Amino acid sequence: MGLIKSLVTWSRVKSPWVIHFNTGACNACDIEIVASITPKFDLERFGVQLKGTPRHADVLLCSGPVTRQIESRLKRVYEQMSNPKFVVAIGTCACSGGVFNGCYNVKGGIDTVIPVSAYIPGCPVRPEAIIDGVVKLLGSLKNPAAAPKLPITIDPAGVLEKGA
Amino acid sequence: MAASIIEMIVFPGFVFLGVLGMIFEYVDRILYARLQNRKGPPWFQPFADFIKLAAKEDIVPREADSVMFKVTPLLAATATVVASFYIPLWGPAALHSFAGDAVVVIYLLTIPTMSFFLAGWYSTSLYSTVGAVRTITQLFAYEVPLFLVILAPGILAKTWSLSEMAAFYSAHPLLCLSNVVGFVVAIVALQGKLERIPFDIPEAETEIVAGTFTEYSGRLLVLFRLAISIETVVGAALISAVFLPFGYGLGAAWGFVVFIVKIAFVMVILAVFKTSVARLRIEQMVNFCWKYVAPAAVLQLFISLILSAFVG
Ligand code: SF4
Repeated sequence: MGLIKSLVTWSRVKSPWVIHFNTGACNACDIEIVASITPKFDLERFGVQLKGTPRHADVLLCSGPVTRQIESRLKRVYEQMSNPKFVVAIGTCACSGGVFNGCYNVKGGIDTVIPVSAYIPGCPVRPEAIIDGVVKLLGSLKNPAAAPKLPITIDPAGVLEKGA
Repeated sequence: MAASIIEMIVFPGFVFLGVLGMIFEYVDRILYARLQNRKGPPWFQPFADFIKLAAKEDIVPREADSVMFKVTPLLAATATVVASFYIPLWGPAALHSFAGDAVVVIYLLTIPTMSFFLAGWYSTSLYSTVGAVRTITQLFAYEVPLFLVILAPGILAKTWSLSEMAAFYSAHPLLCLSNVVGFVVAIVALQGKLERIPFDIPEAETEIVAGTFTEYSGRLLVLFRLAISIETVVGAALISAVFLPFGYGLGAAWGFVVFIVKIAFVMVILAVFKTSVARLRIEQMVNFCWKYVAPAAVLQLFISLILSAFVG
């Protein structure tokens, strides 16, 4: 049983299929997500594949603040994914609402609607930070004891500490 | 009975063909990546994908017909495995053969396509339905040329059994040269059958999400992927049995090596083809097949007919 379990965990770490969902971003974060799956970064090295349908995906990459209009759709996309599933909030907006926080049409960060497993701040995030975040998230699956507790926060520039 | 169960499940059934299919899926993906100047996935990638999907939750949409939704993946995988029994793999004789098995193999290889169609149709979601209709439209375009060119060499060999065809052409290797046109047509048609670029119109992910497979997840999706991997190997084996009948009669071990080399050769051609072109639209695809591929297949038929007047 232990062997099968570790085999399954290994396969989950080695084959994260992602789906990208724009919850109301200004589009810069989306462009960075797209950039990180281009041949230059070649995420297929890590087994990452971009999928069109939530049914095939394991990781939901959300960019942007949740607008009131997208809220129900975000929930639906999340519910359409099959278990086990993870959500990564990409960009400061997705983490907290960012510059759009307090707008009349904005609900806030992704975690106001669905549970988030990793936060990657940045405006916009760099592809390296996205890759780092996804790799750390998968690392936490492999070795739950040693890894940082979920949710994981990637903070390469130290933005969060400085409280910029 | 026991022997046929072992044949079906282990060798050369699901397990053997599945592993071989996944190895060649890796070959295909790494070639594709290298041709695009990328590093490509590690060797275990298809296996990791397989295990991960098999360990995921299956979702059957409420709107879908749950029986058809669950049966079609199994149907697709089984039909491809059964087809492999009638194709000469590493000896000139297939596991089973009878007069006219070439026709049966082509029909068996149509079943996966039909089950993709049914799967998409019974998912009832919009994207799957569009994908399903495209699958069937595309079938009409490549199936006729494929049929013609697989049967044309049979005219020369005066048999429609794949094993006898392979035996005839290994006895007369020079006659293979008359089938070059057919080989090219078969490669194009196989690309369409496997729904690979430029004929990946039914699952065009930039247009219709994932086409027929949009609603599939977990174990049911894995069966479809397995069916496609096995179909790739079986299709390549069919082409190499009909058009590249070399290396039979070298004994089992060397015969197996030659078999792998031949399949790898076909896979390299398929991968280069896939990398160098972009996706067509459905009507361009149908036009292309009927305007150029089908006449080429008829040409092959004529070559075989004329030659058969002289040979034998
Ligand atoms: S974090 Fe910055 S770049 Fe990303 S969506 Fe928000 S405003 Fe745009």
